[in-house]
Amino acid sequence: MSQIPDTIVLKRDRDLAGRENEIWVRRGLFALLCLVPVLALLNLFGQHPGTSNAAGAAARLEVYAPARVRSGLLFEARFHIVAVRDLKRATLVLAPGWLEGMTVNTIEPSPTSETSVNGNLSLSLGHIPRGQSYLLFMQFQVNPINVGHRQQTVQLYDGNRKVLELHHTITVFP
Amino acid sequence: MDIALRALFLYAFVVFVMRVLGRRELSSLSAVDLVLLIVLGDAIQQGLTQDDYSVTGAVIAVATIGAVQVASSYISFRSKRARKVIEGEPIIVIQDGGLLETNLKRERLTADDLAEEMRMQQIASFDEVAWGILESNGQISFVKK
Repeated sequence: MSQIPDTIVLKRDRDLAGRENEIWVRRGLFALLCLVPVLALLNLFGQHPGTSNAAGAAARLEVYAPARVRSGLLFEARFHIVAVRDLKRATLVLAPGWLEGMTVNTIEPSPTSETSVNGNLSLSLGHIPRGQSYLLFMQFQVNPINVGHRQQTVQLYDGNRKVLELHHTITVFP
Repeated sequence: MDIALRALFLYAFVVFVMRVLGRRELSSLSAVDLVLLIVLGDAIQQGLTQDDYSVTGAVIAVATIGAVQVASSYISFRSKRARKVIEGEPIIVIQDGGLLETNLKRERLTADDLAEEMRMQQIASFDEVAWGILESNGQISFVKK
């Protein structure tokens, strides 16, 4: 046998004594790595939108928005209101979680007025006749340093009367 | 602060990925490996500085990665156990002209890969090789008979 190079230990570096588990550790970690894209495909890290519903005697509300997003991404939230009864002064009230660390790119159609009510964003939508629906689109971008979990409650008012409330949450991944 | 944290996390993640992928990808530059390195770099950049185009942001990112790099090399220098984890250990793949199939299989190396490396080091035949060692940096060193 040729002279063994310095610092090489045959038992360890050729016969791999004491290193038998290394390959399994590596394979295990590799499996863990493969799990990331699988979980991503399952929408664990966003941003596939989902639908949340709420219904009351006067109206139905459907919010189509992602529950998980990542920082920097653009996303849309769609608010679909169906008036079961006449809504004279429909107002959509959004919890601060909709705006915290988010850039609102556009709101279409533009509400007749916007104001703050107890820290919430209040959007006056005007009159929605009975049986008709109102579709409001909001386009957002997640600010890069926005990370965490936020409540995005949506309330629908007719004047000062609360018609319904819908609970929605969003998780922002870094 | 977030850039420093992102740099720290991404550095650790890339080291983890490179260790898991195996040492051959560290040194070889086949078409597939080249794509991996380019895509890795580009993907990391997006997550590292995001929309920060400032010089300050770049300085923070580079300084953090530089500091972590020195820290990890210091830890490797001080601790043999850490060195094994961070850098890996050499593996003998040829002894006295004979291929060690178990070790080759473990590192996803073929006889053709070895022959190619040997040719690049002006070695024509396995018979000329006393020791072939896959080093921890992914390169293969050959000790002639």
